Amino acid sequence: FLGAGGGNDIQWCFSQVKGAVDDDVAEADIISTVEFNHSGELLATGDKGGRVVIFQQEQENKTQSHSRGEYNVYSTFQSHEPEFDYLKSLEIEEKINKIRWLPQKNAAQFLLSTNDKTIKLWKISERDKRPEGYNLKEEDGRYRDPTTVTTLRVPVFRPMDLMVEASPRRIFANAHTYHINSISINSDYETYLSADDLRINLWHLEITDRSFNIVDIKPANMEELTEVITAAEFHPNSCSTFVYSSSKGTIRLCDMRASALCDRHSKLFEEPEDPSNRSFFSEIISSISDVKFSHSGRYMMTRDYLSVKIWDLNMENRPVETYQVHEYLRSKLCSLYENDCIFDKFECCWNGLDRQVHIVMTGSYNNFFRMFDRNTKRDITLEASRENNKPRTVLKPRKVCASGKRKKDEISVDSLDFNKKILHTAWHPKENIIAVATTNNLYIFQDKMN
Amino acid sequence: MLGRGLKRKLSDYEENMAGLSSAFDSSRSLPYPLKRQLVLNMCLTKLQTYKMLVEPNLHRSVLIANTVRQIQEEMRQESNQQPVNICPGIAPSSHSYTGMESSGISLQLPSGISQQESSCCDLRSVEDPIENSLLIVSDDDMSSAISSILKDLDFVEDISPPTCLVPTGDDQPKFLESTGLKLEDDRQDLKGAECVFGSFEISNSTSYLKDLAIDDIFEDIDTSMYDSDFSCPPLMPPRSPSLAAEEPLKNFPSCNSSSASNIQICRTDLSELDHIMEILVGS
Repeated sequence: FLGAGGGNDIQWCFSQVKGAVDDDVAEADIISTVEFNHSGELLATGDKGGRVVIFQQEQENKTQSHSRGEYNVYSTFQSHEPEFDYLKSLEIEEKINKIRWLPQKNAAQFLLSTNDKTIKLWKISERDKRPEGYNLKEEDGRYRDPTTVTTLRVPVFRPMDLMVEASPRRIFANAHTYHINSISINSDYETYLSADDLRINLWHLEITDRSFNIVDIKPANMEELTEVITAAEFHPNSCSTFVYSSSKGTIRLCDMRASALCDRHSKLFEEPEDPSNRSFFSEIISSISDVKFSHSGRYMMTRDYLSVKIWDLNMENRPVETYQVHEYLRSKLCSLYENDCIFDKFECCWNGLDRQVHIVMTGSYNNFFRMFDRNTKRDITLEASRENNKPRTVLKPRKVCASGKRKKDEISVDSLDFNKKILHTAWHPKENIIAVATTNNLYIFQDKMN
Repeated sequence: MLGRGLKRKLSDYEENMAGLSSAFDSSRSLPYPLKRQLVLNMCLTKLQTYKMLVEPNLHRSVLIANTVRQIQEEMRQESNQQPVNICPGIAPSSHSYTGMESSGISLQLPSGISQQESSCCDLRSVEDPIENSLLIVSDDDMSSAISSILKDLDFVEDISPPTCLVPTGDDQPKFLESTGLKLEDDRQDLKGAECVFGSFEISNSTSYLKDLAIDDIFEDIDTSMYDSDFSCPPLMPPRSPSLAAEEPLKNFPSCNSSSASNIQICRTDLSELDHIMEILVGS
């Protein structure tokens, strides 16, 4: 497996961990999304309490060439508050479902964050100077007595302690009846889509009072509902193309040029079911929890309960690659159904933009996460735990013993902790730095630099 | 403040369900129909729990409803293929559909096992063939259960809300009538203020929702596995096993004809099921 010492294999080392050490997890601290910005300098997390915390990477220290810059808190703000919908007598959770960064156009940074119902565009800007030397005001703001002013001077900007401010610039509300599961910014950087269980809407970043509905799978009669939308994403290069995945394990690719309402897909990606694996839970585990285009846009990756699949956009009838994340759970599906773990929504991500390396990463239980190297076909299981927290020490690969005699250092399936799930992971867009979220902690790992 | 949902407290029921589901996972000798019935019961329990939430999860509800439909379809095909009951001791492979008359068999538990032991398995006297045949879940009732759940989801989401999905009465016909109204409102889709107030007005007489007795919807469905002793969320009125047996009786007159042959089957199956139940209850 990866990390065994092969020349080109990445060796992952612990770098940092953020969050409370407590075993007793405060519900509001549960991390619900993790996302690097386009340069990788900023790393944002959203939590169940509606807060966004942004970490910034230190500029590389010339004297410490053995490690890349550390991530430190840059800004923290309350993005969403709990709301009460009086008309429906429903509480709207403040949990941040997704964060997506906009590419940087000027000094400020912009991101979209969403809860179940409302999307917000946040501007994060720095202030490190302030004007001093006003004629009519003292430094503390009090007005001067005009009769004491004898000379005029031009106020000048003087440095101050860095202040990072987050302000909501747009609020995109009231467009979703069902719960928003995805947002995706178009490659035109002017529009974005938001998807809920049954509908997908297209927004312009400047316009908050209306959106276009581009997909609607709600049946006239709700009794006929058998499928919901689980994730959606714009193509990285083609601004009229997007995909959405469903609870039945299908992915539909749509072209917005074809018609205003993209109810008819251009392509339908679906793998026929393997009859030997058929069970009562087949449909449930086929539900796709995440879909991500590759950087080139030629491939897309989907995550269902037990596997990660890579699809070639030119081939609809089956994926080109399938990686088993935790096949040993297939014989435990009834128990996992009973305790609702079977509904856990794992995300997946591609490695950063590197033409040589093609690795995909996803999370599992027991605070394990998995990586699959598409070139070498090797895979590795690593653990995010505070016990491994010696910087620059290579992480030890983990192994789960499915059945039979358990070897030393292996963990048996029955000892896995299903409350420790890694649902959210992110890969730095340019370097081999990864962010892995356990329930309430954020781990940062980097490759060992020699 | 209206809560997000009801907290499921760990109870005997949950512990027993956990025991059953690990038995499902680990036991190869569990007959297929028993496994299927177990999954079906778990699905119906979940749907029932979701119904009581202020805002059920649409994604999960749809997945579970599909699983119920799938099982329903399978059972329907089986009963079409094999109207008379057949030999016991079937290998629990997914390809053998020449199974026993599906759920009619699966819960015939020997009366020897005491009621106190197993709080999630309602025990029927084997000697009573009529009661045995009543364990069959009718297609129509499952469909209507799924329909009502999905309709309710729509209702909760797209139209003015109930204050709470608390069943307080037995007014099923009223519920069905109001369901028709809800569908109409749904088509208007809440575009204008007049729609908002229109539907608000209709749902202002939310009595049809308060009258909704969850039990009435599920009364014809076999809930014996989890009905009797466990501490169900207090919103559900308690039902005694005998009452549950009597009411379905009114709805299944056609099952009497097959009841005689049921006796043969259940006797030969007794020892096998006995053995399985001992494992399950013992675990």
